[in-house]
Amino acid sequence: MNNEPVDVLIIGAGASGAAIAWSLLETKMRILCLEQGTHLSDKDFPSRRNDYELSRYAEFSCDPNVRKLKQDYPINSNNSSITPVNWNGVGGSTINFLAHWPRMRPSDFRTKTLDGVGDDWPVDYYDLEPFYEMNDRNVGVSGLNGNPAYPEYTVPYPPIPIGILGQTLAKGFNKLGWHWWPSDVAIVSKDDNGRQKCVNAGTCDLGCAAGAKGGANFTYWPILENAGVELRTDSRVREIQVDKVSGLAKGVLYHGSDGQLHHQKAELIIMACNGVGTPRLLLNSKSDLFPDGLANNSGLVGKNLMFHPLTGVAGVFDKPMRGHEGPMACSILSQEFYESDSSRGFIRGYGLHSGRSTTPMTYALGGYGIDNPIPWGDEHREIMDNIYPYLAGLTIVTEDLPEEHNCVTLDDELKDSDGIPAPKITYKVSENTKAMIKHGEDRAAEVLLAAGAKKILSKNDDKVWWRAGWHQMGTCRMGHDPTKSVVNGWGRSHDVKNLFIVDGSIFVTAGAVNPTSTIQALALYIGDQIKKNIGTLFD
Amino acid sequence: MWSEIEKKILTEILDELIPANPAKKIPSAGQLGVASFIFEVASNSPKLQENIKLVLTWVISKADKISPHLVREIELIHPNAFGSLITETYKGYYSRPDIRKKLYLSEKAVHPFGYEVKSESDEYLKELTDAVRSRGTVYRDPTGGRR
Ligand SMILES: Cc1cc2nc3c(=O)[nH]c(=O)nc-3n(C[C@H](O)[C@H](O)[C@H](O)COP(=O)(O)OP(=O)(O)OC[C@H]3O[C@@H](n4cnc5c(N)ncnc54)[C@H](O)[C@@H]3O)c2cc1C
Ligand code: SF4
Repeated sequence: MNNEPVDVLIIGAGASGAAIAWSLLETKMRILCLEQGTHLSDKDFPSRRNDYELSRYAEFSCDPNVRKLKQDYPINSNNSSITPVNWNGVGGSTINFLAHWPRMRPSDFRTKTLDGVGDDWPVDYYDLEPFYEMNDRNVGVSGLNGNPAYPEYTVPYPPIPIGILGQTLAKGFNKLGWHWWPSDVAIVSKDDNGRQKCVNAGTCDLGCAAGAKGGANFTYWPILENAGVELRTDSRVREIQVDKVSGLAKGVLYHGSDGQLHHQKAELIIMACNGVGTPRLLLNSKSDLFPDGLANNSGLVGKNLMFHPLTGVAGVFDKPMRGHEGPMACSILSQEFYESDSSRGFIRGYGLHSGRSTTPMTYALGGYGIDNPIPWGDEHREIMDNIYPYLAGLTIVTEDLPEEHNCVTLDDELKDSDGIPAPKITYKVSENTKAMIKHGEDRAAEVLLAAGAKKILSKNDDKVWWRAGWHQMGTCRMGHDPTKSVVNGWGRSHDVKNLFIVDGSIFVTAGAVNPTSTIQALALYIGDQIKKNIGTLFD
Repeated sequence: MWSEIEKKILTEILDELIPANPAKKIPSAGQLGVASFIFEVASNSPKLQENIKLVLTWVISKADKISPHLVREIELIHPNAFGSLITETYKGYYSRPDIRKKLYLSEKAVHPFGYEVKSESDEYLKELTDAVRSRGTVYRDPTGGRR
């Protein structure tokens, strides 16, 4: 294996790693990406097989503790009310993500100033705006222009169909005078650039064999590999090493595809391992200079873990909703209850997302993110024949606020196949979030009834979905003050001047929207800052 | 590996777990032969094999006729084994192309063809969203629209 020193070493080939590599292409620096997983071709995706749904409970589960593939690391979530889910491989979690693509809103970057909670970001919506736009073009985003929930922007492709389900719910929102809009999606609605338009197969979590979904495997990586970026797969980084004298990162130790431990030197190291993988690696990189983990002088590495706790409410309608047709997560999104309103009994807000329904197997086994099977016997027959086909649901996706006790640490016993300690999640849903969920359930029921639902199905048990740790944020937050943040306003570690972090772990707050459009816009922004500051990068 | 009596009992239990709907010509899980699916999966999973054996041995020792009441008893006495039986039953039943078709799904792999879903026309989308637009912006901008 050729371990010659490189200019830029990116760890992780997911959403953020791919975006920053693209941004740095024009510098002509030698870029290497180490990725613990492998490449999957579209032919390997299960939706080309007749028994595709079975893979959702086996090798294509979104839960690494179920999948247990060689490249997966186990996660101890015994002390958490939500378990993180992901994909480890080229494309990262955009392999199985659902491509719902809302941006964060201007107020999300200023929660402290506006509402006295969380913290303000060192960047704002308008700093990121050009990078949102650039990324939307690169990824291939479809949607309807003119959403009054945002400052004006242009979506590159026309919207995907919202379907009978979306139309029905939209009428309910209109009746109540509440905001809704067709969802922005990282899915192409037209054939373009060698990518086939969405064929509405509804298996977005199983990889998208059409190539319509804007996973980094289909968008950035083909360009990057063509341009000479070296992607070394099956390569798991164990530790980042620092030079005792300069205090700079000098390289990494990684387990290569040959099963051996290798040393790779680099001038600049960029971490893109996601909100769980990045703090895990930093905490495992202990040295005399950094006895509590690399870049952790603030003590905040791993702290302030945020998910988007969520739950769902469904309505039973009198005509089939055909919810299995079309991209799983994306139909319409209401942001009526997104901003703070003190009369509601909680701070900040939530979105009402209309996903589509899942297939009969997934529904019978408890739906996406839940996994408690529906009843057996006569009740089963009744549900599957007279309820399932007529369902339309809303998911209440709440803003999680940063709290230090919600964190990623290293497990004392559990290890991955290379003997690296597994991450341990400690996480509790806050009272603020519980109040939001309750409010959201009531509003969802109201709008479903307004849309014509004959009956409402709701869990009403104060529990959030367990396998809904799709979004992992906050564990290496950005900020101006080195005592209160891990990286500065452009992703550079306060403590180690040639170490950058670009994934969801640098989020200061979470907003109440899916994070990946912001993660990639932020990675492009950081790439831009690196280029602008190249002469004084390590000062 | 599995005796005839075990196969028969499992099939009868499956009929209770997912009964038929004769009016819609939808067969039960037993009629559909989901037992073979379960035995097949169990042949690669010692844990599932153990669970199915536990359930069948208990049932054979208790009664020779399966009823909803008896199945409820298994659920109470052997909840874990019963849970894994339920999971595999649902997987076996709903992965069958003929059942998927009855529930409006594609019988075969969903790629490359997927489903035909008509796009809403520009006019219809405009009509639907007019009310939303007419209420004006619904976001706070702390920068006062810095752009
Ligand atoms: C089922 C599911 C549905 C989702 N749906 C949506 C959605 O609709 N919209 C949305 O915005 N977001 C969604 N997400 C979240 C989205 O996928 C993530 O926000 C996004 O992929 C995060 O980007 P990232 O770069 O931070 O990390 P990732 O994309 O997860 O990439 C991290 C990469 O780092 C690699 N890595 C980690 N540690 C190491 C190591 N030590 N050595 C080498 N490599 C390493 C991993 O293998 C992985 O490939 C979903 C996620 C899942 C799992
Ligand atoms: S529904 Fe569309 S985006 Fe989702 S997997 Fe199918 S083709 Fe891909």
